[in-house]
Amino acid sequence: MSLKPTIGIETHIELNTNTKMFCRCAVVDTDEPNISLCPTCIGLPGALPVPNKKAIEFITLLALSTGCEITSKGMFHRKNYFYPDLPKNYQISQFDLPVGLNGELEIVIDENKDYIQIERVHMEEDTGKSSHSGSGRIESATSTALDFNRSGVPLVEIVTKPVISSSKQAVAYIEELRQLSIDLNISEGRLEKGNLRFDANISVAPEDSTELGTKVEIKNMNSLRSLERAIDYEIQRQTKALEDGVEIVQETRHWDENKEVTSTMRSKEGSADYRYFSDPDLPNMFLSDQFIKEVETLMPLLPKAQREELMTTGLSLSQSNILSKSDDWIKKMYVKVFDQTKDSVASYNWITGELQGQMRKANIEVLPEWFNDDYLSEIIELIKSNKISFTSAKIILTEILTTETTPSKVAEQKNLFQENDSEKISEMINQIIKENQDIVDRIKSGEDKLVGFLVGQLMKQSNGSVNPGMAKELLFKELKG
Amino acid sequence: MDASNLSIREINSLFTKKELKPSELYSKVFENAANSEAALHAHLTLFEEENIKKAAESDKRFSNGESTSLLDGIPIAIKDNINIKNYKTTCSSKMLSNYTSPYDATVIEKLKEQNTLFTGKTNLDEFAMGSSTENSAFGLTKNPWNTDYVPGGSSGGSAASVGARSSIAALGSDTGGSIRQPASFCGLVGFKPTYGTVSRFGLVAFASSLDQIGPITKTVDDSRIIFSSISGEDSRDATSVINNQLDIPSDNTATIGVIKELMEDGISDEAKNEVNKVVEILKSKGYKVKEISIPIIKLSISIYYLIAPAECSANLARFDGVRYGLRVDGNTSYEMMENTRAEGFGAEVKRRILLGTYALSAGYYDEYYGKALQARKEMIDEFAKTFKDIDYLISPTTPTQAFKSGEKTSNPLEMYMSDLCTIPANLAGLPAISIPTGLSKDELPLGVQVMSKPLSDNSLLDFSEIIENEVQFDGQPKGWL
Repeated sequence: MSLKPTIGIETHIELNTNTKMFCRCAVVDTDEPNISLCPTCIGLPGALPVPNKKAIEFITLLALSTGCEITSKGMFHRKNYFYPDLPKNYQISQFDLPVGLNGELEIVIDENKDYIQIERVHMEEDTGKSSHSGSGRIESATSTALDFNRSGVPLVEIVTKPVISSSKQAVAYIEELRQLSIDLNISEGRLEKGNLRFDANISVAPEDSTELGTKVEIKNMNSLRSLERAIDYEIQRQTKALEDGVEIVQETRHWDENKEVTSTMRSKEGSADYRYFSDPDLPNMFLSDQFIKEVETLMPLLPKAQREELMTTGLSLSQSNILSKSDDWIKKMYVKVFDQTKDSVASYNWITGELQGQMRKANIEVLPEWFNDDYLSEIIELIKSNKISFTSAKIILTEILTTETTPSKVAEQKNLFQENDSEKISEMINQIIKENQDIVDRIKSGEDKLVGFLVGQLMKQSNGSVNPGMAKELLFKELKG
Repeated sequence: MDASNLSIREINSLFTKKELKPSELYSKVFENAANSEAALHAHLTLFEEENIKKAAESDKRFSNGESTSLLDGIPIAIKDNINIKNYKTTCSSKMLSNYTSPYDATVIEKLKEQNTLFTGKTNLDEFAMGSSTENSAFGLTKNPWNTDYVPGGSSGGSAASVGARSSIAALGSDTGGSIRQPASFCGLVGFKPTYGTVSRFGLVAFASSLDQIGPITKTVDDSRIIFSSISGEDSRDATSVINNQLDIPSDNTATIGVIKELMEDGISDEAKNEVNKVVEILKSKGYKVKEISIPIIKLSISIYYLIAPAECSANLARFDGVRYGLRVDGNTSYEMMENTRAEGFGAEVKRRILLGTYALSAGYYDEYYGKALQARKEMIDEFAKTFKDIDYLISPTTPTQAFKSGEKTSNPLEMYMSDLCTIPANLAGLPAISIPTGLSKDELPLGVQVMSKPLSDNSLLDFSEIIENEVQFDGQPKGWL
């Protein structure tokens, strides 16, 4: 029996609005608890919610950017459940009238495009944070500390249809969604800060089955790595269970980061009935055509379009994808350097390879202010016109990353300009031949590859300033006629 | 002359002419409270000390001719589900017996700007759920006309306070008749404004889509003055509306409708007689009066007892012992919340929470809550249709005169029926007023209710004043002394 996994992902993105979703408390990034609170976000008697227009704008932007149909007559619902960090003991969310429905997101895996269908994009408010002492779980905690700074921070939830078939696809989807939220400027997109949080619904069924298997929800995956491992683990666990004839139970499972296993949190039988109903404190929300048009004008160039644009410069899909998911300055630098050099591969390699590699190695997070985009173009041009060698170019880059100077100055100071004058090179070759008569003899008797050794000697003596291609050519001419 | 019997305009005129000082008036109402509290228990707290200070400030303003407000120095009682900063808001519940509000309700802010005195907080049915002020955790309130009888509810304390002249006017809240019914039982004017004209910010919510703050006063003009002071769009209440008043005729060019369904079985002859009396007066003045049938009104109680409990089941979820109010310990967080709610809420509140939770539960929502919403919408449409030809709708305010304390406590359904005539205005968001018109054979007050289309509050008050002037009701209770 051949089995296939089916995965759906629910992602919560914390929006980077200045204030909370239903009150005007500042959204703060601090470990100091309970400093940004008001009657509304801690649920005092008599306090009322008032929607944050910016948050609705952000959610609409995300819905539009994923090609969703916009529900112009949206509605806020109350999702009822008791939990100490949920101040009203209901969460204001959306139910049957979410902001966006039926969208799609293009993802890239290597050189292939894929499309993940989005079921819905909706708004909700975040809860506070609980710290359970003792076991870490509420059921057995001896005490629980509560921080309501996060309570009421706007979240957007994006739910995919059950269309994902591998952990690789899941990771590519989250990477794409993360970049989208950054490019839309609606979130910092920092996974380590919990800006994006995701749960996966996983089932396994026979390859030829038209029905999905029993769904298991996996929670507590805090990184892309844990998403990938948790999905792989769960597919394996369910596959083995089915092969062994063990029934899969519909349940929520917890990913244990250290043990790298999933374990039962709660079974679905005991799950809550959320008793959704429209929030009477929040009259129906009308997203007018005018509002939607205004939001559309805020739409930046989306990652998908960025990739298409990058591919027209000659980059491959995967290269374009990597660039589209890079920091903004990298994207901009590529565009500028390509514009000047018209060499997509060299521009791409120098920026994503050498430059970022050297920065990482030297622990440089931000480019020094003197570092000019033109410098990379200059370096590329110097290589192409044979004025410097690739080795020299790397040395130049190292220098301009740490010292305020220019590539040509470095080349001059360090004597890195290549010798391209064949007469001068020939003079040097004659010297090398004299010094290495035994090698010369062996080359003449057929050991051609030793020419490389002589070129090496030549480079050494000239401090790398000789054009190695020309040197090789001239050596062959000299020795083999 | 007893100043506490005068209307706000009369008092203000005496203040301005320096024939009466605010401090003298305050002494008088405080004396009335001191004399009547033991028999009536209208108030949960009286703010004597601060009022002596505030009254002295009012004295100064009037003596310097600096006062600009009709409400300056007017002692107003506040129902104890409306937050006054730094004072307790108990909602007559054990749950909040020690809860102090850190903020002012919008209506309180507005009255403070007018230099109003707050005599104290008045008793109510717990969380405004009830029709007799017998569901208070702090003891019941009696009717100032006859202490064997209930003052009505849930704003029974506010009505008893004004009835006993322990305050010049009072604020109540009206979810299904909680202003109009006690006003009627106590021989006072009770006005529930159009839904949304008075901010609910700071009113502890019972059923958000129905709750509305309004005045209980001796005269229609007093209600007018208070309404104009507390109304207005509030950016902190998303359900508040711009108070753009419609001008409909109040003179005899207006057409009056008598609601057939509220003049049938279940309505006492005494109550019908009051309506007929008013109708005769209006006819004699040249008003056109028609009998109008709005059959869906018969479903009012059924609709109301699904919608109000459903909303309250979520609104009261926040009282969990976690952040404020009563906390009864348990071994886990959940046990603590359960114990707190078990001990903190009274029987009627629990009944409604259970009813509402049930009506919203999976599998029952469509059958109960969903249908109630649909019927409510139909009722709104029916009223809108009616108001195309009719300017004002007249009915009894209550099916009977006040009932005796304890008479209906064991029969919730009978208690619920006492709101039959008042509930439709809440369901449809209409302005509605109860005007005292006469006494029953037991010497207890009776009133008629007038309703009009949304946002015609001012016209409704003008029209009511005409009735008030014609019936010449002697509104002074003799019972409590």
